[in-house]
Amino acid sequence: MIELKNVCKDYGSTKALVDVSLSIKKGEIIGFVGPNGAGKSTAMRIITTYTAPTSGTVNVSGFDVLENPLEVRKLIGYLPERVPLYSDMLVSEYLAFIASARHLNGTFEKRLEWVIDACGLTSVLKRKIEVLSKGYKQRVCLAQALIHDPDILILDEPTSGLDPLQIIGIRNLIKELAHEKTIILSTHILPEVATVADRILMINEGRIVADGSFDNLVKQVSDSGLLYLSIKESKKEFEAGIKSLSQITDISYDESAPRGQTAAHLYYPPKEDILEALNQLIRSKKWMVVEFQQEQISLEETFIRLTSSSSESGSEAKKEGGVK
Amino acid sequence: MNDIQVIFKREFRAYFYSPIAYVFSVIFILLNTGLYMFHFFFFGNADMRAFFSTLPLTLGLIFIPAISMRLWSEENKLGTIELLLTLPMKTESIVLGKFLASLVFYLTALAGTLTIPIVLLALGKPDFGPIAGGYFGAIMLGAFFLSIGIFISTFFSDQIVSLIITSLACGFLVLIGWGYVPMVVDGWIPGLGQFLYDYVGVTRHFNDIERGVIAIKSIVYFLSFTGLFLYLNAKALERRKY
Repeated sequence: MIELKNVCKDYGSTKALVDVSLSIKKGEIIGFVGPNGAGKSTAMRIITTYTAPTSGTVNVSGFDVLENPLEVRKLIGYLPERVPLYSDMLVSEYLAFIASARHLNGTFEKRLEWVIDACGLTSVLKRKIEVLSKGYKQRVCLAQALIHDPDILILDEPTSGLDPLQIIGIRNLIKELAHEKTIILSTHILPEVATVADRILMINEGRIVADGSFDNLVKQVSDSGLLYLSIKESKKEFEAGIKSLSQITDISYDESAPRGQTAAHLYYPPKEDILEALNQLIRSKKWMVVEFQQEQISLEETFIRLTSSSSESGSEAKKEGGVK
Repeated sequence: MNDIQVIFKREFRAYFYSPIAYVFSVIFILLNTGLYMFHFFFFGNADMRAFFSTLPLTLGLIFIPAISMRLWSEENKLGTIELLLTLPMKTESIVLGKFLASLVFYLTALAGTLTIPIVLLALGKPDFGPIAGGYFGAIMLGAFFLSIGIFISTFFSDQIVSLIITSLACGFLVLIGWGYVPMVVDGWIPGLGQFLYDYVGVTRHFNDIERGVIAIKSIVYFLSFTGLFLYLNAKALERRKY
């Protein structure tokens, strides 16, 4: 349905996307996650034909974004991050404008009615857009993206700035639409992706660092093993001791540990048994252990691991993130 | 409805969402007729030459930039440009829709000054040739300046910046044919002043049309430059994709 091949995008000297190849099947719900400036919005803007790739090709349902932009635009409903609304129009005027711009002639009334109902806009139809709350503005803009019943929905941070109840509302709407549509959404809220998307794409510094279902991603990272160790020693002592264990690949210190204690998450490669070595170390150093446990990696942790390791070196990220 | 109509309708109504449109029209009519009335009572001629001689300057410096400044600058500021340019419409249609909306708005304000010929008709026997020519020239001139203004507004998200740059550009085009400016320029670089006067400045072409000599050359000048700037506008919008 959507096919990106070796897509690069440069803004002057900054590289927003670096050699991104990606294939999205019909009916998939894709969650784009990544830090600010990672390239999520750029990727979406290229698919929606708002910007052109510097190199590479993008194909949507058989139409090239550069050669046939109008055909591509017909298929897509797009909610940009900036929430583009004409603030001095009434909600009803705005939606009618989009409907006529989308060439909804025969189905005009019906679609308008559906979208107003689905997005819960009945009570604000005759209000000026500028007086609406952030949540309503977001919903008006979502209605704009849905009005022509597009095959593909591209939502750039659809829940940013909404309260928890509104987030659940939008999430349910996305789930409801999911049966018939291909959806790409981006977000900072990681648990949201886990509940909505079937496939998660993590982007960092213009590259895809991970691609897979939530369970897969967690497995890829947790395969590397994670232990939490807290001892009554200084950080220096802790560091010196742990250094002697060659299997440990990464340490992230827990800054919330009480004074006089040092605590850290220890990462090690899959299938290495470090428990014995670690026990020996603790015994030989006569460390007083406060807490010691095997941990399950959360999505946040996965995200941080994948994005931070890719900034250190791209090739390492590929190994760890398990990019195809 | 076709695309141009859809955009036209929104843009034209957008002028009336805020009180600015009304304020603008009132000031436009008051200033232009006011400037003229002074001259009218002073000299007592039943013609509109004084009106049309100040019109290029007031249009170029204030009124046209004020109409055109919001056309793209507002879209840039609100982010609606991202919405507009991902609608299934050709960029040319959007540009044309916006241009026509601003042109019709300008014509509405210009129609407000038709009180002058009505008064002239009541008081004397004016020659309608130059008056009709003058209005025709004002339409051509307005269209040309609007096309410049829309083009310039593409590059800024601040309406005031668009207004000032457009005002400078249109002011230059007026002044280059104004009084002895061409002669002064000729004094600096021989031939340049005359060249600018003949081919670039608007005043000469506007005067030709106003004088009732419906000069094909001047009509071609206005139409081709208007078309050029609208074309450049669409190109500039396509260009920013890259």
